[in-house]
Amino acid sequence: MDTPLYVGIDLGTTNSAAAVFDGERVSVIRNAQGATVTPSVVRIDKQGRITVGTRARRFLEQDSANTAAEFKRLMGTGKAIEFPAHGSSKKPEELSAEVLKALRQDITDQLGVQIDRAVISVPALFELPQSAATSEAARLAGFSRVELLQEPIASALAAGWRAEDDGGGTWLVFDLGGGTFDASLLETRDGLLRVVGHDGDNFLGGRDFDWSITEHLASQLAVVPRRNNPEHAAALRALRLAAEDAKIELSRGERAQVMLAQPLSIDGQDVDVDLELTRATVERLCLPLVDRALDVCLRLLATNGLGPGRLAKLVLVGGPTVMPMVRQRVAARLEATIAEGHDPMTLVAQGAALYAATASLDGRAASIAVPAGRQVWLQYPAVSADLTPHVVGKFVGDNPPAKIKLVRNDGGWSSTEATVGPDGTFLTSVTLLPRRACTFEIEARAEGGELVVVTPSQLTIVQGLTIGDPPLSRTLGVALANGHVQVYLERGAPLPARRTFTHHTIETVAKGSSESVLRIPIVQGELSQAELCRLVGTLDIGGDAVKDTVPTGSAVEVTIELDRGGRLAARALIPAIGQVFEHVAHLLVPEASPESLDAAIRDLRRQLMELRSDAFRHGLGHVIEKLDKIEARLSEAERDIDAAHGGDADAAQRARRALLDVDGIMAEADLARKWPELESNARNVAISASSTVGEHGTDAERALLQEVLAAMDKARRDKDAAELERQMRLASRLSRAAFHRTTEAWEYYFEDAASEISKMKDLPKAQKLVTDGKAAQARGDTAELRRVVNALWQLLPEDSEARKKGFDSGVR
Amino acid sequence: MLEDNPFFVLGLPTDTSRIELEREAQKLLGMLELGFVEAKTYQTPLGPRSRTPELVRAAVAALRDPYRRLIAELWARHAPPAAPVEATAGAPEPSHNGLRRALGWGV
Repeated sequence: MDTPLYVGIDLGTTNSAAAVFDGERVSVIRNAQGATVTPSVVRIDKQGRITVGTRARRFLEQDSANTAAEFKRLMGTGKAIEFPAHGSSKKPEELSAEVLKALRQDITDQLGVQIDRAVISVPALFELPQSAATSEAARLAGFSRVELLQEPIASALAAGWRAEDDGGGTWLVFDLGGGTFDASLLETRDGLLRVVGHDGDNFLGGRDFDWSITEHLASQLAVVPRRNNPEHAAALRALRLAAEDAKIELSRGERAQVMLAQPLSIDGQDVDVDLELTRATVERLCLPLVDRALDVCLRLLATNGLGPGRLAKLVLVGGPTVMPMVRQRVAARLEATIAEGHDPMTLVAQGAALYAATASLDGRAASIAVPAGRQVWLQYPAVSADLTPHVVGKFVGDNPPAKIKLVRNDGGWSSTEATVGPDGTFLTSVTLLPRRACTFEIEARAEGGELVVVTPSQLTIVQGLTIGDPPLSRTLGVALANGHVQVYLERGAPLPARRTFTHHTIETVAKGSSESVLRIPIVQGELSQAELCRLVGTLDIGGDAVKDTVPTGSAVEVTIELDRGGRLAARALIPAIGQVFEHVAHLLVPEASPESLDAAIRDLRRQLMELRSDAFRHGLGHVIEKLDKIEARLSEAERDIDAAHGGDADAAQRARRALLDVDGIMAEADLARKWPELESNARNVAISASSTVGEHGTDAERALLQEVLAAMDKARRDKDAAELERQMRLASRLSRAAFHRTTEAWEYYFEDAASEISKMKDLPKAQKLVTDGKAAQARGDTAELRRVVNALWQLLPEDSEARKKGFDSGVR
Repeated sequence: MLEDNPFFVLGLPTDTSRIELEREAQKLLGMLELGFVEAKTYQTPLGPRSRTPELVRAAVAALRDPYRRLIAELWARHAPPAAPVEATAGAPEPSHNGLRRALGWGV
């Protein structure tokens, strides 16, 4: 059996890279120009010829209309990018596919191996449509299977893999990419890597550095080009490329000359560019941006009870971290030593290659070989932190061999003989050598002791640092008709994941009626109100698709499934009609027209003013602090909207995401405004939960309540409204669970629900239920009473306003 | 907390070391993939439950987090002998006054 080859690809905003891992060594792939990074730039000329990478980047200035860059930020938006010379257009995922094809070819050229499986890295906070677009790009590039991995995990894995000493401790990955900043706090223990916490800024990256320098240069020209003027776009682009080159030059020297061969054409005038830029100027311009990233790091450390000077290791990733000023500032403010020996430009690709091994994703195209001898299916970890992992197997077909033994091919170890069960199954374990790839021969013997030829005849396991399944980056759930979210998969849930919940319809879906539709909206986000989450897909069940009419209150079993690549699938089963519906309408990231952004920001400004004057009136300092944060964000978004008016689609998307974030912060500020009311509610919840759980709870519930009360106390002291609400919900849940254990509970629920009968949707049905309930109460039948109460709850009406906030959800 | 307690899902005691947890999870995932009958169910104080790869993955992910492990240990150690009545899924928040009074909550 030949050596597997694991492939990792960093599909970056500005640059991309590929790396391979053969079980012992990670190698970075060089492109045809001999470079380890390939610019993520694609050009299509008049004849339709496609150029990718450095050669395409050269055309960014002279033929910008037919050369596309930074399209990663538009992934999942469905926005087509025009190539007027050829008269064609391409979606961002098609352009990304061209970059992937080029990298795939580089691997084949360098190693002579055809690749069709790989791990591709994506930003930690990518939304589902963006992940789906990345998978689509890989498919278009000819990959038969890919897995997606979050960039910070990839760089951490690569940095941790090289660490000779597994001394443990907490370390930080500072990843400043072209468009985003990610900070990840990690720990390694027993060879296992764990992400302790993550924070980031989706709107901070190397391109902000470049724009700061560009604006500085522009301000010194005879005629100043403006970002909000589409006519100035070409001039600004040329200036930005020159700024980028000067920035790189200033990583080594003290001064750089910014000179353009051709004068810029601004407002019909030829403007010569011949300016001097010093390292000190660049540092002054970029320092506030570096400090913004560092503030995120300090916040992440504080959240996890750490301060500067407490990090065992600091790893820098991304092009901008090559700047000496960035390195010095980060090391100084975090009081940590930067780990040396890591290439910030290719670390993510290296980590993705290592992860491909832990996911047993051999990159080589599958060869069609005729199996020799008995075929055996094997399950074992391709990479293991454990020195003695299990190997599980099953022989295909009848009359399997009787015994099996694994022999390490260095001759230093062999397993005891394991018995093969009559169904062909066996279980054994192997002993690995630390930080080595170990190959084991499989020796199978028949009942009589004669050797049996098996396929495969060997297996290889690498001992080293591993990480568990990739975690889900944002909580996923279903929006309900009451405007709340039923969480299916929590942030951090290991992928792949699947979960089923039973909901009930709130109105009838009439057979044959195309007007009547049962909508199940799927949302992503961390807040419990649906309107503050992002709608990522919908499962619509129309009256024309159902076999029979689905009455109000019918059960709907919804299953949501996410694979390792972030692909979403949902299924709804309606048991009453025995039908399953699976077609999820995947949503694209919404279009962001400059006009809609203008309207959104006007609305947010108005809300901000109202909240601010209210906070001043009541002297709420902590709310004012939150609102100041919003003010800064809005000013940034305004700059981007300005650029969006100048035709910058990427800036428009940045602005759209910034406004969504502002919306979330605003909701938190609003919550903080209601602090006195919340605090008093919290006190009531604490008292009632203590008495209910104290009287009716189990030991575990009592112990848990202590934890929850302590967390509530901390949230109160920190004035953290969102956290306090979360803990209050936990306390109420414990209280309810304990209360439900009592006989009186269902009597109270029944009496209370019965008192709302006049509001119920199906009065005759409600009346019958109340009669049934009374009878059950009289004979002390708690199970029946519980059934009645549940049925009555289903008949309570939904508020139409709340339903709108729940994206017109048809389930509760 | 009881039905899908990570320790029950993996069939291990609460003092199991982290590396042993990972090893057991890897073994169970392999057994489930190849259809080993003995891996398909696990025992809980509420009776046997069916084990799926998703449950095993979620269990091991939960036990990697020290805080979540502590909670799981608490529940596994204090598992009540009798089957408690489960809270009803989808029940509205108890916002009605009578109920709130009964619970001793502020109205």
